[in-house]
Amino acid sequence: MLVGFPLSLKQDAWIGLLMATALGVLLFFIYYHLYKMYPDLPLTSYLQEIVGKWIGRILGYLYILYFTYLAARVLRDFGELLTSTIYTNTPLFVLLTLSMIICAYAIQKGFEVIARVGELFFVVVYILAVVGFTLIIISKLIHMEYLRPMLANGWIPIIKTVLKGSITFPFGEMVVFTVLLPYLNQQKKVKQVCIWGIVLSGINLAIAAVINIATLGIDLFIRSPYPLLSTISKIKLANFIERLDVLFMVYLMISGFMKTTIFYYAAVIGTADIFNFKDYRKITFPIGVIVLVSSMMIAVNYTEHIKEGLKIVPIYLHWPMQIIIPSLLLVIGLIRKHSKQTKKPPAQTNS
Amino acid sequence: MSILSKLLKKKHSRKKNDNYRQKQDPASPAELLIQREYQDNLARMKRELGNSTDLVVREIKIGQNQGALVFIDGLVDAKTISEFVVETMMDKNIPNENFDIFQYALNKTIALGSVKTITNWNELYDLLLSGCTIIFLNGYNKAICGETKGFEKRSIDEPSQQLSIRGPKDSFTETLRVNTALIRRRIKSPNLWIDSMKIGRVAQTDVAIMYIKGIADDKIVQEVKTRLNRIDIDAVIDSGYIEQLIEDETFTSFPTTYHTERPDVVSSQLLEGRIAIVSDGSPYVLTVPAIFVQFFQAPDDYYSRFDLSTSIRFLRIIAFFISLIGPSLYIAATTYHQEMIPTTLVIAIAAQRENVPFPAFFEALIMEITFEILREAGLRLPRAVGQAVSIVGALVIGQAAVQASIVSPLMVIVVSITAIANFSTPVFAMAISTRLLRFALMIMAAFIGLFGIMVGLMLMSIHLCSLRSFGVPYMSPLAPFNGEDQQDVFIRYPLWALKNRPKYISKGNRIRIGENQKPEPPNQSSADKPGSGKGNQE
Repeated sequence: MLVGFPLSLKQDAWIGLLMATALGVLLFFIYYHLYKMYPDLPLTSYLQEIVGKWIGRILGYLYILYFTYLAARVLRDFGELLTSTIYTNTPLFVLLTLSMIICAYAIQKGFEVIARVGELFFVVVYILAVVGFTLIIISKLIHMEYLRPMLANGWIPIIKTVLKGSITFPFGEMVVFTVLLPYLNQQKKVKQVCIWGIVLSGINLAIAAVINIATLGIDLFIRSPYPLLSTISKIKLANFIERLDVLFMVYLMISGFMKTTIFYYAAVIGTADIFNFKDYRKITFPIGVIVLVSSMMIAVNYTEHIKEGLKIVPIYLHWPMQIIIPSLLLVIGLIRKHSKQTKKPPAQTNS
Repeated sequence: MSILSKLLKKKHSRKKNDNYRQKQDPASPAELLIQREYQDNLARMKRELGNSTDLVVREIKIGQNQGALVFIDGLVDAKTISEFVVETMMDKNIPNENFDIFQYALNKTIALGSVKTITNWNELYDLLLSGCTIIFLNGYNKAICGETKGFEKRSIDEPSQQLSIRGPKDSFTETLRVNTALIRRRIKSPNLWIDSMKIGRVAQTDVAIMYIKGIADDKIVQEVKTRLNRIDIDAVIDSGYIEQLIEDETFTSFPTTYHTERPDVVSSQLLEGRIAIVSDGSPYVLTVPAIFVQFFQAPDDYYSRFDLSTSIRFLRIIAFFISLIGPSLYIAATTYHQEMIPTTLVIAIAAQRENVPFPAFFEALIMEITFEILREAGLRLPRAVGQAVSIVGALVIGQAAVQASIVSPLMVIVVSITAIANFSTPVFAMAISTRLLRFALMIMAAFIGLFGIMVGLMLMSIHLCSLRSFGVPYMSPLAPFNGEDQQDVFIRYPLWALKNRPKYISKGNRIRIGENQKPEPPNQSSADKPGSGKGNQE
């Protein structure tokens, strides 16, 4: 929710988000079918099953690198925000290191703990969101007229932007679930829970976009590096409740932590899977250091970081990794399954 | 060399003690059997007890047979012995025939509730040292043991730690039987089961496990027993020993077992499916599994109406957070985030701090440590000097400290409110862990402000989520979230709505209250047409 809004759509950003949600559900079905084919294996293992050992391995490495890179990006996103707003004099490295310690600690404790912490934080974030929302309304900041005119430029730009960016971020990042799903306890509920999660987050994002636009107006919404922060800092009530940036920071830390941890965990689990580590805990810290250092090095400054994130990464990294490769995998997998079923007797003698 | 021999010796003595523990072994070695000649037995006993002066031996003649009565002075009720053992044995009317005098003594002369025959020295010592009277008869390689326990014990007092406005005012004592009886008196169910065992190689402390069969989870009961059986220590002086040896995670500041001195709390927890561990010599009873939210539930919550207890529970949670992050918020706000504070207050704080030579962190640290010292000293003080120390304490944390320019007035307020908030946690074990974590958070806040506090709190949350108490996640029913169990977490539902026992503990019998328990005024329509009230409602 930091930089996730399709800003080029202006007042129609929320429509774009809802559309991306629908596409996100479609995307999830690709991942879900892959998972259904190999319910016990993470992505890195069934890659080798589907496209053969060598190509599968290479793709697996790429995915690990991809997850590591994403973890580093999220970490940087959030570190940049802290350094540019509250901690202007604190070195980025210190903030990132501390955040990384939390993530590493959570991963060291295992997936179950991450999930439970997620539940706990989910509640906290929701309470914060409701409080913030109420305060915004009470402060009479909402101007619904900012949302008009709706669909001024028709549907075409919306579809374009959605395909270029919104579908890959944040929804396409669900590709990480291909690694995590096999580790869940209640495998039956997966479909329902995930779809609910996607729809819920889509709606939340849309609401957030509506509130941001209605509070800030389109100009500020587009120019502000962090629309949400600008919105929150506008809250001013009874000359006493103001400067609620802290709420934003709490929210930010929690969401940043969850996201980084999940990508980081996927990278760790993937590595452990490909290199046959019995206990993934041994490689938590080495990979953590890689994530930390690369998050420092992926961009010289914030502008470069954001430009990469909005212009280059979605098209050259997200699209292939999130959509093209999984779709191809699904197709190949289905064909293989089909051919296996028809040629069962000879296949058995071969093996 | 000497170390080696020492080690060997240790091993040897250990082995001997292990033998000692297996007292119920039917095929005990010959040297453990009681001899026929009673003088031999007496001599052996005196030798093995090192001629301890509290061992009382009274030679006695029963009919034609010589015998001896042995007991430990102070552990037995002397009156019982003289009335029901000695007097009846000295009865002149014992027939002089040649018959089994042992059986006669056992069945006819000893007028005690519990009598048994023993043949084994280990068993003999166990019983003798727990207050039984042993009777040897010449010519028999067995002894009679009569239950004559009766030692001085503290009477049942009011609880000294966990006070409540409303509710029962009795508390546990140091005697195991009194404690179990206090619980049994509240739950008169045959399903309240008690399992006993002896823990402690040297001290042989009695430990009892209490649970309600059918409500408690059998798996957890089994786990408790396994963990208790694993304990191999010389003595269990207090239930705190047991707590530290059976908890799931040692490296945590949070308590993963609950202890209480209130029988009503233990009873209600047994009814929720928990398991109580009562150990002799300790007025604190442990209950497991313990979860985080349980430490914010005070007994009063259930005795008063739900709206009051819910709001007080919220107050307690707020107090918990104040006592956890109070000083660190002060440090963070004054050092890093002045913009967070309303402008007029910032100016006031700046003016106050003008004369203080220390940075906020040291100011807070000085005050907090001073307060902790005062608290610790107050705990150990002899009553007579208590007054003096509280006067001095008020000087140290108070106006004098401010006038001496050591701290700012606001700091005094922060420390005081933190300290008072800390006392509102109903269970000391949780309060003390927040005391410890507070210092860690203060360091984090001094290091990097609010961000540091958040880092600390997040690490704490992760840690809390990773804890378990006897297999039950510590943060349940919050994480893993369980909607049904929310009835007793933040909001204490009205008593008639507390329908089920907590899901995370009890597995089988979960309904705790009947249908339609909501009290209502007499129904008007049913008064008009008796017998058809229910039909009208539907």
